Amino acid sequence: MKNNIKVERAIHNITQAKLAEMIGVSRQTINAMELNKYVPSTVLALKISEIFKKPVNKIFFLELED
Amino acid sequence: MKSRFLFTHHYKPIGWVIFVIGFILGIILMLNDYNYPDWEVSVFPLISENDIFSKPALEWSTNNIADEIASIFIIVGGILVSFSKTKDEDEYISKIRMESLIWATYVNYIILIITILFVFDISFFNVLIFNMFTILLFFMVRFHYELFKLKNVKEDEE
Repeated sequence: MKNNIKVERAIHNITQAKLAEMIGVSRQTINAMELNKYVPSTVLALKISEIFKKPVNKIFFLELED
Repeated sequence: MKSRFLFTHHYKPIGWVIFVIGFILGIILMLNDYNYPDWEVSVFPLISENDIFSKPALEWSTNNIADEIASIFIIVGGILVSFSKTKDEDEYISKIRMESLIWATYVNYIILIITILFVFDISFFNVLIFNMFTILLFFMVRFHYELFKLKNVKEDEE
């Protein structure tokens, strides 16, 4: 799975640390998601979609191997 | 995310203190062939072998409890250190925790299998003593190493 959290952050001008604080995770978790090293839970994905005010599937994308 | 079966973060420093005390006591005992320190107290064995080396079961007798204290401190301290939440426990850290636990279990039993095949007699008894604690030790090392690597990831900001 891929995501464009980094792009969305840039659009909303939110740092990793700020986003982490807003959704109640560590900064490293945001970083791991942006590097596609970690697939978040549905709860976390929904929280991120709320912050960016976009549907989940406009932020997270399935890849061929998924 | 709610993580089940974990202690709150406050238990982690307490766990470290108990663990280190138990660990140091264990090392001192090991260096003295488990004879010193000698803290004889009355004990009540529930199970025993019927030979001259064993205290009879279900009768009061005395025993050096230094090794019992060291073992329990290492185990209780190790459990508290291992399974207290980190300050910023979240679902990613829980995943690292689980993976470290699986890794530690594999490593522990791979080493045990090797020692079953190549270590015998009293030496193997010593292996069994260490094996009581190694799964926790391997987990603690691996988990904290992974957390350390994570903390040192540079923030790649614009």
